[in-house]
Amino acid sequence: MISLLLILVSALFFVGVITKVKAKIAARKMPSIFQPLFDIIRLFKKGAIYSPITTVIFKIAPLVYVASILMATLFIPIGSQKGILSFDGDFVFFVYLLAFGKFMMIIAAMDTGSGFEGMGANREALYSMLVEPAFFILAGSIALFTDNISFQDLFIYLHLGSNLSYIIGIAAIYVLIYIAMVENSRMPVDDPKTHLELTMVHEVMVLDNSGFDLALIHIATWLKFVIYGSLISNFIINLYWAWYWQILAFFTVQFVFAFTVGGLEAFRARNKMEKNPQWIIMLSAIAVVVFLTTLIITEKIILN
Amino acid sequence: MSYLFIILYAITLIYFALSERVKKFVWLLSIQGFILFGVVFFNLNKIEIFDFIFILVETILVKAIIVPWFLNRVRKHNHLSREHEPSIPVFYSIIVVVISLIISFILSNYLNNNHIHTKYFTVAFASILFGMYFIIIHKNIFSHVVGYLIIENGIFLMSLAVGSTMPMMVNLAILLDVLMGVLVLGIFINHIGDTFKSIEIDQLSKLKD
Repeated sequence: MISLLLILVSALFFVGVITKVKAKIAARKMPSIFQPLFDIIRLFKKGAIYSPITTVIFKIAPLVYVASILMATLFIPIGSQKGILSFDGDFVFFVYLLAFGKFMMIIAAMDTGSGFEGMGANREALYSMLVEPAFFILAGSIALFTDNISFQDLFIYLHLGSNLSYIIGIAAIYVLIYIAMVENSRMPVDDPKTHLELTMVHEVMVLDNSGFDLALIHIATWLKFVIYGSLISNFIINLYWAWYWQILAFFTVQFVFAFTVGGLEAFRARNKMEKNPQWIIMLSAIAVVVFLTTLIITEKIILN
Repeated sequence: MSYLFIILYAITLIYFALSERVKKFVWLLSIQGFILFGVVFFNLNKIEIFDFIFILVETILVKAIIVPWFLNRVRKHNHLSREHEPSIPVFYSIIVVVISLIISFILSNYLNNNHIHTKYFTVAFASILFGMYFIIIHKNIFSHVVGYLIIENGIFLMSLAVGSTMPMMVNLAILLDVLMGVLVLGIFINHIGDTFKSIEIDQLSKLKD
């Protein structure tokens, strides 16, 4: 229960921190950290406008998207605070919950019948497909390392293991940060501030959503960032710490993660669209290296 | 600790396949030099102190600083900034790296011999395979030198894997090889660049007759 609360609280400020960091680096006047919240409230007050050719799929898609991501947050443990739901192999369920929400958004974009949105949906589907093996190989290697297959036990036994877990942890954090960037359609893959539809990925997909629906989509993005931030924090938080240190460490990790995202967005240029697939497959390649190293460490491959 | 360096070394190989800028190749070679320094520092301290210091100085000075610095000078002299499109798309190169890593891990699984430190053998063998692949897919001579240096780094790791009894001799030989190779090839590249205004190897086929 506490883990869900922590995730929701940090989701409120996450995007605010990102925009603040980006504005500071670009030497602009910094918006308030609550600015994204005000935007959401403004959007909630508006009604949604639907094109006459759309069907019911378009109307329910944002709700299903947010619902699937909220459901996925239930599985995330934080330090010794357990997630609300947990069972063996739940990380597979977790990934496919996220994928289900994304699938609904993709068919909703197709539903509008616009050429631009079809293109955006096409790209989003390709990038999600390419990034999926990276997450699974990573989760698989941690499962192999700890001999457990639920999120909760995965992270508990990761810290009870030897110091070698930190080596896996460093590589895993690096891959997870970039998976979060790809999943949220952020900088190296997609520029959220771009103004040309032809170079957009996520933004062009939600062009037709307005008002209430758009607010839901924004909230889903916040939650997704915080979910990945929580996964990263689990690699760092040690179970032997007191509960207040664990919560402090959680918020620190979220803050540093938001700071990193802001910095990455401010300093990096977007990849060329044609270079994106090879860049994303690189994440899977690193995950394979982590997996092979895990095989050595756990002596599944006999080495001396 | 050595596992960390194995991961890092394998990741540099993946980045070699990913990057298309010549400047990045030089940076990655330098990083590999530092990683080799780390490997030697944490794992080879059972040998004689003089040999140990010699290998440490060799890795950090030659592999991590002098060779990349010299390559950078050659790069600037020839106004090289971007590698032309390699003949095989980068997407497939990354898959090839991963496959070569997996093959060398499986291979070293069969080489379960007490005289071989197989954990180094894995990345060493992958590095040699990838170095050869790197030379095949690139078209200019500068990248060929980089590929040659990747193979040399692989051989260095291989010497750690099999030759912990007499690493001094192996390393002297490698040192001489690398230094002479890089210096001679550097001068060679500069001359070709001055004569043909480009270091594409396609230019050399016009030398006939």
